[in-house]
Amino acid sequence: MKTHKFFILSTFTIIFLVGITGCKKYLNEPPENRTFTEETDYTKTENMVQPLIGVYQKLNRVDEGWSDFPLISVRGDDVNAGGLGDQQDFANTDLYSYNKDYWMYNALWQDYYSYIITANSAMEQVALYKQYASNKALADQYIAEAKVLKGFWMFQLSRVWGSLPVPPNSDPTELFNVPLSTKNEIMTMVSTWMDEAIPSLPAVRPNERGDLPGGVTRYTALAIKALANLELKQYQTVADVTGEIINSGRFILEPDFYQLFKIKGKLNSENLLEMQYSDLGQGTGDNYYYLFGFFGPQGWTPKVAGAGDGWGFWEPSLKYIKFMLDRGEKTRLETSVLFTDRGILELRKDHPDLPSWISHTTPSGDIINDFAREMFVSGKHYLPSDQLTPGRTNYGTNKNFTVIRYAEILLMYAEALTQGASGAAGSADQAVNEVRARAGMPALSGVTNAQVMDEKFAELAMEWGTRFFDMVRLGDVNALSYDGRTFTMEKTFLPYPQFQVDQLPILRTK
Amino acid sequence: MKNYLPRKQASSWLKSMFLLLLTIACSAAFGQERSISGSISDRSTNESLPGASVLIKGTTIGVTTDIDGKFTLKVPAGDNTLVVTYVGYEKTEVSIGAQSVFNIQLNPSKTSLQEVVVVGYGSTKVKDLTSSIVTMKSDEINKTPSSQPLQALQGKVAGVQVVSAGGPGDSPTIRIRGVGSFPGRGAESPLYVVDGMFYDNIDFLNPSDIASMSVLKDASASAIYGVRAANGVVLIETKSGNYNQKSEITYNGYFGYQIAQNVLKMANSQQFTTMAMESGSEADKSYILNAMQRYGRSTVDPNIPSPNTDWYAEILRPAMITNHSLSFAGGNDKARYSIGGDYFLQDGIMKMENKYERFNLRTKVDFKATKWLTVGGNFIFSNALKYNNQGSAWSNAYYAVPIMPVYDPSNTLATPTDYSNAQDLGYRSGQNPFPTMDNNIDRVKIKKLLANFFLEFNLIPKTLTFKTTYNYSFQSIDQRVINLPWFIGNSFQNPDATITRYFTNYNDYIWDNVLTFTKSFKNHNLTVMAGTSFKDEGFTFLTAQGKNFPTDMEQSWYISQAVNIPAEAVSDNGGAQYGMSYFGRIAYNFKEKYLLYATMRADGSNKYQQKWGYFPTIGVGWVITEEKFLKNNNVIPFFKIRASWGQLGNDNIQASDGAYTTSVVTTTLGGVIYGGTVVSNSYSELKWELTQETDVGFTARFLNNRLSADFDYYNRETKNAAIPVSIPLVGGSVLKPVGVIRNSGIEVALNWSDKTANEKLSYSVGGNFSTLKNQAIDLYGQPYIDGGTAEFRQRTYVGEPLMAFYGYKVAGVYQNQGEIDADPIAIANSLVPGDLKYVDQNNDGKINDDDRIILGSYFPSFTYGADVNFKFFNFDFSLSVYGQTGNKILNRKRGEVIWTSDGNMDADLAVNRWHGDGTSDKYPSSSGLRRGWNQKMSDFFVEDGSFFRIQNIQLGYTINSSKWLGGNFPQTRIYLTAERPLTLFKYNGFTPEVANGWDNQTYPVAAVYTIGLNLKF
Repeated sequence: MKTHKFFILSTFTIIFLVGITGCKKYLNEPPENRTFTEETDYTKTENMVQPLIGVYQKLNRVDEGWSDFPLISVRGDDVNAGGLGDQQDFANTDLYSYNKDYWMYNALWQDYYSYIITANSAMEQVALYKQYASNKALADQYIAEAKVLKGFWMFQLSRVWGSLPVPPNSDPTELFNVPLSTKNEIMTMVSTWMDEAIPSLPAVRPNERGDLPGGVTRYTALAIKALANLELKQYQTVADVTGEIINSGRFILEPDFYQLFKIKGKLNSENLLEMQYSDLGQGTGDNYYYLFGFFGPQGWTPKVAGAGDGWGFWEPSLKYIKFMLDRGEKTRLETSVLFTDRGILELRKDHPDLPSWISHTTPSGDIINDFAREMFVSGKHYLPSDQLTPGRTNYGTNKNFTVIRYAEILLMYAEALTQGASGAAGSADQAVNEVRARAGMPALSGVTNAQVMDEKFAELAMEWGTRFFDMVRLGDVNALSYDGRTFTMEKTFLPYPQFQVDQLPILRTK
Repeated sequence: MKNYLPRKQASSWLKSMFLLLLTIACSAAFGQERSISGSISDRSTNESLPGASVLIKGTTIGVTTDIDGKFTLKVPAGDNTLVVTYVGYEKTEVSIGAQSVFNIQLNPSKTSLQEVVVVGYGSTKVKDLTSSIVTMKSDEINKTPSSQPLQALQGKVAGVQVVSAGGPGDSPTIRIRGVGSFPGRGAESPLYVVDGMFYDNIDFLNPSDIASMSVLKDASASAIYGVRAANGVVLIETKSGNYNQKSEITYNGYFGYQIAQNVLKMANSQQFTTMAMESGSEADKSYILNAMQRYGRSTVDPNIPSPNTDWYAEILRPAMITNHSLSFAGGNDKARYSIGGDYFLQDGIMKMENKYERFNLRTKVDFKATKWLTVGGNFIFSNALKYNNQGSAWSNAYYAVPIMPVYDPSNTLATPTDYSNAQDLGYRSGQNPFPTMDNNIDRVKIKKLLANFFLEFNLIPKTLTFKTTYNYSFQSIDQRVINLPWFIGNSFQNPDATITRYFTNYNDYIWDNVLTFTKSFKNHNLTVMAGTSFKDEGFTFLTAQGKNFPTDMEQSWYISQAVNIPAEAVSDNGGAQYGMSYFGRIAYNFKEKYLLYATMRADGSNKYQQKWGYFPTIGVGWVITEEKFLKNNNVIPFFKIRASWGQLGNDNIQASDGAYTTSVVTTTLGGVIYGGTVVSNSYSELKWELTQETDVGFTARFLNNRLSADFDYYNRETKNAAIPVSIPLVGGSVLKPVGVIRNSGIEVALNWSDKTANEKLSYSVGGNFSTLKNQAIDLYGQPYIDGGTAEFRQRTYVGEPLMAFYGYKVAGVYQNQGEIDADPIAIANSLVPGDLKYVDQNNDGKINDDDRIILGSYFPSFTYGADVNFKFFNFDFSLSVYGQTGNKILNRKRGEVIWTSDGNMDADLAVNRWHGDGTSDKYPSSSGLRRGWNQKMSDFFVEDGSFFRIQNIQLGYTINSSKWLGGNFPQTRIYLTAERPLTLFKYNGFTPEVANGWDNQTYPVAAVYTIGLNLKF
């Protein structure tokens, strides 16, 4: 009897205890009062390209971010800050006197890191689409493209600051937990990223891409790998990688050097990477533009009346101009430099026999008037007023911003070979002479490393601080100490922006 | 010792008693000397007490109870009283009268180790605890005249900080062992478990509904509540009857007044005028002139305006408080019941429609349906009506100028009342607090229902039980905020009548199933409990607003009567949270000497991505006095060392923070527009916070149990606190579960109780204190987290308290030009005598942001309490005190000067301002107050919040009435209470009790004086 009752009660007990486990299903109930449709539908793989276009949008930044390129590139004996009195800390940076509180430092940091975060985010987003994508190779290609651009930005940041944290994913707060990587580590990392990306990328010229014209290709990745390895002085790798680009036979130097930096240079077959802008061929309406006004002369007399002038920054250095005059350069000098009368007077002081083609009128017929901020104006950032789409007046609008071009590949190849590497794409002479020929310069034979570096100076001045970073790499402080300024190797890196130091304790350990 | 004898099973005991009662009852009344019989048992456990002493008062006639707790005794003729004593229990006297059978139940004495305390899903004896639990009984709770039972905990429990709330019906802030969750997100409050139901606040309970409140302070005690336990747990048992208890009708009531204490003394008209004249502000001087023109000149001093308004005196009033509770309780051997009701009414001390009224009804019945089944039910219904105060009046009255009267008959356009307007004198704002006090009516109707039902199966009598309980809670909060139109001046008016309604309903239920096994094997005593619980918590919320409704009759105050119903003010929300839990406990002891206690809870929830959390704890104890070398000595009758470790959760943390935002962007490729997306990610998945707690302590009794002592060291560390992490590159911040917060300290409680041999005088003296060190241990690599506002910065540094006040340290005041000239800092900042001198912390010869330091925390580092109780003949007296030190308060009322410099200020500041060489080294000059240099966040604004208070004094007289009206006169006690009659502090404010340290609109805590009556039939 007793055991009977015990049995019944126990059964009850078990029913209760087991019955409650049926409630477990409620643990999967979603939260109340929210919209569930706001989430991205990753099965719509036709949208897979959108996150990648978001990354290109960062590359082709409009308006904002105009100070990034100048800060990266202002140091070196090819160019002066210009601006006279405006943005004194920018001018001081050019004089190797750095101010960690200066807004441009923080702006470059924030811009490029946020681009990198965007690239990481795009890679994560595309990966989410990939699981539903029928063309998984395309997903891999998009991820690779974002990775290449991320590598480019990380490369630029590390050249400026040296040791840095590398964001592991799209969450910016992760930066709190990331240790600093040294510049060498970062360059190695960038090189590895390129290796990871290359197999997924199309082996075409950027302007051959039908889907995303001017987008990243295998050769863009190779070029960035070469740049990173050049920083690492891994000359053999540089020779191998640039050799691969040369041997592809896909790239040619634009015969008209002057027009390479004008409308004709847009999606030119010489370009491996460029920031693209467009006024859509219309005189009014949407306009995607780079703020070239920063580089432009103040108070000019354009051939096409009404074309806007610039802010008067980015002055080619006297040292560069004299160097070019002494070499007897014409094509590259008249492309790279626009002269004012005041500048011409200054040149005449020690070059009394200045060539007659040097004039305040540009080859396109715009007149550069004297203005206080500069004696010379950057020609590579100049778009003749007669190339503006009628109706558009902003200085340089509709012009693209060249980032990496084939001439630099050829010269890196030559540099690597003259540093002792062996190459499979011809001799250093061949590479250098190809570049010289286009500039109307006589061929050389048995080029030395010094000659290659001079050639790079002549060819790539005012572009991306190439000259500065070359001289730093070679430890040539004399080249960088000019016009009264003195460079020492400890001036290589900018100080971390104070705003970032306040936020990220890891930056304080340096 | 005898009192620890193992209990014997007494299964058929009650039945036999019934038979005895039936057979003896009629025959016993006749003889000269007669025989009585009965049994003695423990009131809380119903266990029989063998060896208890039963004595006839004033004689040597007595016996001790047998092994079943029974006795028989020959009683001589005449009036006799039985005196029952038993170690660890209160002495109990029972008048014999004509009765023959006595079932006497003893209450464990207050400091007894026999006392049974509730622990989660069960109960245990105090002496078997390995954890830190403090229990407060109804007698103590009822000493505090308040709507809020938790108020009674203040100063009574070491390690529990109670910050009183002044507003009628407002809940005090409770912090158990510091704050382990980042403040400001409503995730810091403890869990309240009322008869098995979970609550975030227990404002609906009347103190007289409650039998006991137990604070589970450490992990060993609270970990059984798993994911809800990290902020501490308070278990509340409502009143219940006792089996075999004579029906008892109890009335308890009090009536009294609340009087505002320590009312902040403001500058009077003369002092204010002096300040204005010294301000260097032509405008301020002209306002004085305007006041004299408008209201006349003072007859005492013609240079000051005639009005001299003390605004705090104007907005305050003495306010009534009263409570009446009636309770019926009793039981027989099958059933027990407790039914009661109470009514509470309290007016606020702010002179407006500001009050709290509550009517509660409760019923609790347990019924032993069969030998193997007990059923029970419990209802508490609470119906409250609350009118909230107009909080802004507390700060308005601070800066309202004294040179303005309350009413201004010349303000003929004013409606509905001709209040004065400071703008008429030229001041920036209207200042007068009355228009909003009169015309803003914030009514809240709060209805709360708690219901529990249970079935308990005795599977194996006294060994294996199974209990299934369904707990239900319904809460309806219906708030109506009315702003009636008024006009005092063109820019001091409320043109629109607005009505805003908020409806919130909470529907929660918890279904618990608990299996408990208790068995002793020789020297091994074992209790094993296993259970499951399912929890369903839901809420709905709806709000809407109407503008311009007919205002004359309250019957028209509905949104549908409004002319304009703005769509954007409508909001609808809801939530559903489910929890599924498995839990268990093992309590084991060997000879009651070595104790082991372990619990484990697995909590599943739909709230977070991570569904399940596991919360273990283990505690050990060693009762040294059970060892041979200490056993049976009277100097140290009991000494137990205990240690515990456990993990606790806090699921008041939101499920996630930040967002994935997808923005559409366009760019051109090859001259063609391409559309793309940029997904920015600040999304952060959160989960419950995990707190790990270690507690080491001892519990001891000395000198024949007269002195009791409890000591605890605790260290609780929140391992993954949700802290704001600033987003580099993007800005802003997002909560991430990555912080580490530590609270550590010690707690000491001592109590001495004794009585004279004739028992005419008994007394006890107790004291407790606790220390708290609150620290941020890890902020995810961030150097600090900013809080507060830009003007009044609070900052959390690693190693420092959470949200500490942060600013400059004042070194003094520049006294003269010589001092200025000698200080490059003063010259660089163009300072003048009367300006504050800040400490140059880094000695760089500059005062800038780098010179700011931590000025202090709003958490007290030391709290203490003490109480004294006397019983002398029929008088009883008790006194308790409470104090705290180490906390800081931001005097935000004074801080208002940085925005509006023309207002009034407290008298201390006005009188002790700098006004010439050597006049003050503490406060700046009147004109200095108006300069930015002196308005920097500094310890000029951050003050010491230490205080000492006489918490409660009660004097009672019990009328010895057993012989009146033939013994039918109720037991009567009359008592007088003074609650918080005296508070001592240095802070320049109304009250040092400011929960978050920002004193702007703090409702001051009043003193309460009541007279009460207690009747027991």
